Amino acid sequence: MNGIRVKTIVRRHAYVLWRSPNRWFDIAFWPLMDVLLWGSLGTYIARSNGTSQAGATYLLAGIVMFHILFQTQIALNTGFMEETWSRNLLNMMVTPVTETEYVTGVGVFGLLKLVLALITLSITAMVFFGFNLSSEGWGLLPIALILLVSGWAIAFVVIGLMLRFGQSAEILAWGINFVVMAVSGVFNPIDAIPGVLQPLARLLPTTHAFIALRQLLDGGGVPWDQIVLGIIGSIVGLALSIAYVVHMLHVFRRRGFVTRFS
Amino acid sequence: MGYVLEARALRKRFGTVQAVDGVDVLVGAGERVSLLGPNGAGKTTTLLMLLGAITPDEGTIEIAGHRLPKSRSKAMGHVGFAAGYLPLPDRLRVREALGVFAGLYGLADHEAAVAAGLERFKVGHLAERMCNELSSGQRTLVGIVKAVLHKPALLVLDEPTASLDPDVAQRVRAGLLDVCSDGTALLLTSHDMREVEQLTERVVFLAGGKVVANASPAEIAADYGHDDLEGVFLHLAGVAIHPEDEL
Repeated sequence: MNGIRVKTIVRRHAYVLWRSPNRWFDIAFWPLMDVLLWGSLGTYIARSNGTSQAGATYLLAGIVMFHILFQTQIALNTGFMEETWSRNLLNMMVTPVTETEYVTGVGVFGLLKLVLALITLSITAMVFFGFNLSSEGWGLLPIALILLVSGWAIAFVVIGLMLRFGQSAEILAWGINFVVMAVSGVFNPIDAIPGVLQPLARLLPTTHAFIALRQLLDGGGVPWDQIVLGIIGSIVGLALSIAYVVHMLHVFRRRGFVTRFS
Repeated sequence: MGYVLEARALRKRFGTVQAVDGVDVLVGAGERVSLLGPNGAGKTTTLLMLLGAITPDEGTIEIAGHRLPKSRSKAMGHVGFAAGYLPLPDRLRVREALGVFAGLYGLADHEAAVAAGLERFKVGHLAERMCNELSSGQRTLVGIVKAVLHKPALLVLDEPTASLDPDVAQRVRAGLLDVCSDGTALLLTSHDMREVEQLTERVVFLAGGKVVANASPAEIAADYGHDDLEGVFLHLAGVAIHPEDEL
């Protein structure tokens, strides 16, 4: 792994972010809108039912933590898509940069974007709803880790599909996490989702991350059983997704799909 | 002879089409070679295999002693590539985009390398321009600057002067000869036969995915009984397209 090349990839994407106001939507506008939407909904439900603010807390905590998954995935996917949009993929492929260095660079840049998005989410939730997720303490860290690793795994699958099917697979980059959102019970226990989907939900590491989050919010301490399931699931998912994208890269080179992007 | 590029017995099939069928491409250190052929002859597929972007079905490729695909990263450190159809990334200034590629080639002082590269092709005034605002001629020149930033052992150019004005094309050719005078080998594809005669010492002519001629432009012209390479091209391309017409 060459540090100069990894740093260069980070710099390349920083230039693009700086010059692309639309990219700031991911880290400033959508987090703000999400907090407003889900925080307002939670507050309304709590007032209508005369219950406590627990509902609003679930919704706000869910959307903040969901953004870890979303931002991680979208940063890696838009990093790759940027090379295809600007017809730069072939330019990149004929430099000494390795696939590992490229993904590391885009991943590091994604973490920087994630930090910016979390700042937006935290400030908005605090200012509008007096909600401070960090008060839940260190127990949030393993949950965040599961979501981070799961975000990378989803991104690799989407990149694999784009390598195989071209730009028509780009739609997944924007939509796939909303499938995960619905099936993983980001805001609600999974017994509230249709029964036919519940076995699938239990297989997803993200489901265990959000179950752990709600148990933590309920004051039940760090739910290690759920966290261990989530960590194992996310690592298995990451390994499978890397194997998939490596295979698709092999197919991409064997079938000459680079000409689609140049 | 020490080869900077040694590709042997390359074969590539896409479905029912045998795009490349047993092609050898050998380029010596400092040698200038062109890869010619009519559309569909297998030039682009061959070039992309030589660059590691397409995996051959059969055959071996070594660049500066590094075998593809195993040592792709090391091999690409010795190659510069530019094509008339390949722009630099949008949303970056020319200086920034070239700096990115200098970094990817591992150059420590990328600002100095970029400044020297722009100066060599007399396009220093473009440094602060956005890449997506360049004219096609400027884009080609900057693309070649990108390809030679790291002083590669082998420069691969796919139709570098296509769609350029004659004066800009001539500037590009002069710049390329200057680059090659430092010992950089050149592998070029072009549809401009005068350019091929001016820039390269040897021609590898492809037709139907096979090498049909491999010699100096003058030797090939003499062998086929033509005054220049253009006549040979038309002859060989015609044969390749309508083999039944050859008498």
